[in-house]
Amino acid sequence: MKILHCPINGPRPISEFIFGGEYRTMPDPDTCSDKDWADYVHNRSGGPGVKKEWWYHAPSGTWIIAERDTGSDQVMATYLPNSITKEATHE
Amino acid sequence: MNRRLETRPGEWIDRDEPLKFSFEGKEYTGFSGDTITSALWASGERILGRSFKYHRPRGILSLSNHDVNILVTDMEDTNIRADVVNVKEGMRLLAVNTSGGVKKDKKRWLDRLSAFMPVGFYYKAFHSPRKLFPFWENVIRKSAGLGEVNFNYPRTIKTKYHEHCDLLIVGAGTAGLSAALHAAKCGIGITLVDENRQAGGSLTYDCAGDQESKTVLRNLLDEIKHHPNITLLTGVYAAGYYTDHYIPLVREDGITNMRAKAVVIATGAYEQPPVFRNNDLPGVMLGTAAQRLIHRYSVRPFDVGVVFTANDQGYRVALDLLEAGVEVAALVDLRKKAASPLADKLLQLNIRILKGYCIYEAIPTGDHEGVKEVVICPFDESSGKPDTGDLVTIACDGIAMCAGWAPAAALLYQAGVSMRYDNTVNQFVPNKLPKGVFAAGKVNGRFDLESRLKDGQRAASEVLSMLSETSIKVVSEPHEGNTPSHTFPFVPHPKAKNFIDFDEDIQLKDFINAAQEGFDNIELMKRFTTVGMGPSQGKHSNMNAIRILAKIRDLPVEKIGSTTARPFFHPTPIGHLAGRTFHPHRLTSLHDWHQTAQADFIAVGAWLRPAYYSIAGLSRDDAIIQEVLSVRQAVGMIDVGTLGKIEVHGPDSALFLERFYTGGFANQKIGSTRYALALDEAGVILDDGIVARLADDLFYLTASTSNSAMVYREMQRWQQKWQLDIGLVNVTGYYGAINVAGVAARKVLSKLCKASLSEQDFSFGSIIETVIAEVPARIIRVGFVSELAYEIHVASQDALTVWVALMEAGEPEKIRPFGVEAQRILRLEMGHSICGHDTDGLTNPLEAGLMFAVKPDKPFFIGQRSLQIIRKAPIRKSLVPFLLDHQDGMETPKECNLVIAQGDIAGRVTSIAFSPTLKQAIGLAYVSPELAIQGGSFLIRTDNGSLVKAIVAQTPFVTSQIGDSKK
Amino acid sequence: MPLRLLKYAFSKEHPDPAFFTQPDSLKHSYDAVIIGGGGHGLAAAYYLAKDHGITNVAVLEKGYLGGGNTGRNTTIVRSNYLTPEGVKFYDTSVRLFQELSEDLNLNLFYSTRGHFTLAHTESAMRTMRWRAEVNKHVGVESYVVGPDDILKACPQIDISCGGNAPILGALYHAPGSIARHDAVAWGYARGAYQRGVDIFQSTEVWDIKTSGGKVVGLNTSRGFIATNKVLSAVAGFTPRITDMLGIRTPIVIQPLQACVTEPMKPWLDTILVSGSLHVYVSQSSRGELVMGASLDPYELHSTRSTLDFVEGLSGHILDMFPFLSNVKVVRQWAGMADMTPDFAPIMGKTPIEGFYLDAGWGTWGFKATPVSGKTMAETIAKDQAPELIHSFRLSRFEDYELTGEKGAASVGH
Repeated sequence: MKILHCPINGPRPISEFIFGGEYRTMPDPDTCSDKDWADYVHNRSGGPGVKKEWWYHAPSGTWIIAERDTGSDQVMATYLPNSITKEATHE
Repeated sequence: MNRRLETRPGEWIDRDEPLKFSFEGKEYTGFSGDTITSALWASGERILGRSFKYHRPRGILSLSNHDVNILVTDMEDTNIRADVVNVKEGMRLLAVNTSGGVKKDKKRWLDRLSAFMPVGFYYKAFHSPRKLFPFWENVIRKSAGLGEVNFNYPRTIKTKYHEHCDLLIVGAGTAGLSAALHAAKCGIGITLVDENRQAGGSLTYDCAGDQESKTVLRNLLDEIKHHPNITLLTGVYAAGYYTDHYIPLVREDGITNMRAKAVVIATGAYEQPPVFRNNDLPGVMLGTAAQRLIHRYSVRPFDVGVVFTANDQGYRVALDLLEAGVEVAALVDLRKKAASPLADKLLQLNIRILKGYCIYEAIPTGDHEGVKEVVICPFDESSGKPDTGDLVTIACDGIAMCAGWAPAAALLYQAGVSMRYDNTVNQFVPNKLPKGVFAAGKVNGRFDLESRLKDGQRAASEVLSMLSETSIKVVSEPHEGNTPSHTFPFVPHPKAKNFIDFDEDIQLKDFINAAQEGFDNIELMKRFTTVGMGPSQGKHSNMNAIRILAKIRDLPVEKIGSTTARPFFHPTPIGHLAGRTFHPHRLTSLHDWHQTAQADFIAVGAWLRPAYYSIAGLSRDDAIIQEVLSVRQAVGMIDVGTLGKIEVHGPDSALFLERFYTGGFANQKIGSTRYALALDEAGVILDDGIVARLADDLFYLTASTSNSAMVYREMQRWQQKWQLDIGLVNVTGYYGAINVAGVAARKVLSKLCKASLSEQDFSFGSIIETVIAEVPARIIRVGFVSELAYEIHVASQDALTVWVALMEAGEPEKIRPFGVEAQRILRLEMGHSICGHDTDGLTNPLEAGLMFAVKPDKPFFIGQRSLQIIRKAPIRKSLVPFLLDHQDGMETPKECNLVIAQGDIAGRVTSIAFSPTLKQAIGLAYVSPELAIQGGSFLIRTDNGSLVKAIVAQTPFVTSQIGDSKK
Repeated sequence: MPLRLLKYAFSKEHPDPAFFTQPDSLKHSYDAVIIGGGGHGLAAAYYLAKDHGITNVAVLEKGYLGGGNTGRNTTIVRSNYLTPEGVKFYDTSVRLFQELSEDLNLNLFYSTRGHFTLAHTESAMRTMRWRAEVNKHVGVESYVVGPDDILKACPQIDISCGGNAPILGALYHAPGSIARHDAVAWGYARGAYQRGVDIFQSTEVWDIKTSGGKVVGLNTSRGFIATNKVLSAVAGFTPRITDMLGIRTPIVIQPLQACVTEPMKPWLDTILVSGSLHVYVSQSSRGELVMGASLDPYELHSTRSTLDFVEGLSGHILDMFPFLSNVKVVRQWAGMADMTPDFAPIMGKTPIEGFYLDAGWGTWGFKATPVSGKTMAETIAKDQAPELIHSFRLSRFEDYELTGEKGAASVGH
């Protein structure tokens, strides 16, 4: 079983984590076109490569970001999401 | 005939413990330590199994779990691998897949029909006319398969352990033992496993007639004993390699899942048979099988043998045979030039060595039970053709075959090792190894005793340097001398029956024909011929298949490549893999009470909830009706402790909820509650619940039972994006909750609660924090199942106190508990939909009629932008309440019956129930927009196909009973 | 013994010609190029030639024929879907499958065994009725049955599942079948080859060239091909192809694993699926139990196996059949499933003229092999997708018109 390094809990088996999909930046809903919004909502970067992903450590309730090569399954880095720039809130 | 030799040093059998058993109805005696096969072979038996396709008689091939010639059943279990399973006292054994016994197998005529059944024959016939296929299919299905499953086999629980070690070494042969000893000096924790009952690998049997191997082994094992940091496990196989050095080690009684920092694969090599006509007759066996018989079980393989070799190994085997008293009639060496260093020794013993010769065919005895003689002739290595002008016959009753090896590289392949073909050893060897994975010994192309010992040390030194331990760097030299494997040990014969895959009865010509038909790459060839797809997974056949294909295509072997070796290394029992199985579920703190009260439980997500409480003398339906009526007429209560409960703390709490849910919360008054609807980014309904404001900076909210974990998780995720000044606490487990509902609810609750419950002080849509039955509580005025209802949230450990107090206080009103079934009817009577029941994975709030809960002009909420897009298109369906236009004898529709308009599907019923209050069937259904007209009607098709008229109604279905409040 | 086998014993040489041979080199141009030599791509080539007379076609396969999901699935064919669009589409496929052995003159071992989707909860029973009602409406033989009917078809099953998840009933689907998956690819390949289609194995597409929003050709490991029509039928490799053209899709690749036991004498006549236990199982004509579970829970473009999969599956199979404790799993493997958010395929035209997509086959691709080949061949020939696949168009995501197959397809391949 694969091991994922949780920045809070250390190395844990991947079965303790829930995959949350690719980390994506939301376009500004006030200014983007319907087409761009639909693209954001439905489409994904489907090809293999290093992606930023959401992973949730279920027993501790911790969301982390993993940079993982979706082709080789190698994890380059894991860190807490708050180290990524705070997203625009569109208020 | 007794083939047991005199007691020999190092033998694996215990002669003080004889065992009686039977095979095919005949009684035999073996010794403790014998495998089923060795005991039978010692007793002179030859035909121990029948082949899969042609039902040819079979005996020993590898005696090491590299073939399935001999599969037996003990009537309890089936497909027992007799070569490696020890015989036990009293076993009653039969060969599998025979019709009337292994000797008199009625299906043995299939062998004569084999010409009608060339490679892939089943693709070419039986399908036309189509009507006859089921007949032929039945014939084929019955003749396929091996053993019969015992439907009464017990479900025994196998243990599963989880362990860690610094270094796992797979294979306790020369290289593995040597690696362990070298690495052990640094004090790291080493686990060394071997599938055999005793450690030593080929040192236990490959002796070439002298004592060197056994002396080396004794010394290695003595040394191992002096290292407490080495755990040596025998009778344990590594079943597969999984990501991050995770390896299941399979014991007889269970599995240990081992996580290692480093792994040395020292799994050795499988001996590969040379291919000639009748190379599968009982008595024709691999050289190493003959050696195993002699040295492990003290059994003489045959009396007069011919050794057929294409490498130097045959010379070692010949010396072992001689030492065991076998007369070696000839040593037939396929190689014309290469000279074995042991040849002189054999010549001195007057053994006839025929160089540049092949066995053209083995001739069976009259009864086909074994070998009568072999026909040999000169062989041209460059063309791969025998010179049949010069046939010589040699009488013998057995043949030992040595042609070369295939690396036991399954775990390496699974670890992602890339292999290359090494022309000095004519074998695939590891090319590039991933971090933490090492290979040593024969699997790494090292064959001489010295180089295997050295290679083990070399691998260990690399492990130590990876683990940052100090060690002396050891280098092992590549192989020198004659190649251990021959590139093309195949002797064509016009009458074929020269087998490559013994599991699947695949002959040399099958490959040639498959290639002719276009299946000329290794993967297609494997699939078309089924080579390597039998239970031994190509251990004795894949390498030969690759060599044949290389020859057919006139390409070097490395261009052919090899097929991937998937787990498992050996087939692994389902019960071992399953271990103890777990079925986790959650119980509320009131569970025991429900049980005592005769509740019938259903699973809701992970929770067990009372469906209803059974009452003696009442049917299930009647009991549920009683529960409904008690709420409508007096008071009832239900355990809703399974609801998700989340607290949002902090100055930005209202802002957070404004964004997460569709409604407005910024101006929500302290002490009030609001219905809350959550969407995903596509505008699809995720969940709904109640949000209560307890303070400026504190909200308490509920989520539905089966969605609560997801809701909390998504809240956490959005909070990570938004980074608001809030804290989220999942208090689902902390709080229990009880819903007291019905016209008498206030009366009952007032007895236990000091706070004023008057309509004025505590109206629908409010929350109070108070004390009930001396327990601190949050009480919400809700309206889900009844116009008058209170949801009481108390600490889980106090829930029982409150529940019991309510039962007592409600006794005069005839309070009764109700379950999920009554709850569903009650909420339907109130006209409420249930998220996940009346919505599915694609429903939006427009369709579900929940737009009242959406505040579209807020700055932002999840799903808002998508809803704007969805609203531009015409709505496709609407959830509407309906009443049935009841007629006598009419069949009542069920949930998921379809709404039909003009013969087409126009919707579906999501909820329907007979309302005990209204004495009428009511429900909710999705219908196309033109049918969703108040007072209009539509047709529902029932299970029996009749169409039933439904009338679009208004909610709530039940009229107000208290009059002074409205939702 | 069928007469067809006589020739083998009485001819000196092996009498069968090659199924397919590979030309020495690519032609300079083709009327259409199909990327992907799996069942779908080969079926499209076959029907292009057979139904539309278009034979100047090349099929390009990076590996070997049928080596992707065609050769990795658990070979179940069924049409008991949830949406009318889905049911009609797969029903067409089932009907084509029923005639396919004769059509291709190759025995595909298409074996109609009946298919039970077991329900262990009330809500599962509701979904079964929903599916049954839609199936019946479209004319597909599916109905809800009780435990007794399940026991009649499979007396060995523990209907209480060890007391852990008692079976309440099932959706019975009479046409449910299994087939020899590899042979489907080979049969289509042979049929296409015999009609003049060029099939290239070990041939990789590097790039798709467009001009003015139209396809003009492809760069491959064997050189450039000029063509105005390209079909991508590569399942788990779809994003790599669409990325070449900058086409965005919702497809996410997740591994789907399966495993097989040692052969045993036939005892399991039906195909069984349990959504709650995440198990599906049938017995092949070789006697092996072929078993699968649900998708791996995260994106991965790889066919590695995991131990957790086979451990979990083993536990669940023992809930249903406790006597299989000592039956051995021989082999496990994985395929790459191209999942879509609504569990329906993506078929038809794309924003690039002349580039056609046959993708989003997730865990349901094998059973659609004939119908996808037929409809995509028509789409290529007429540059217009037939009505049967209208709901599966790529633009449905932009239009927020997803198909709603999610409820039925989550487990039960």
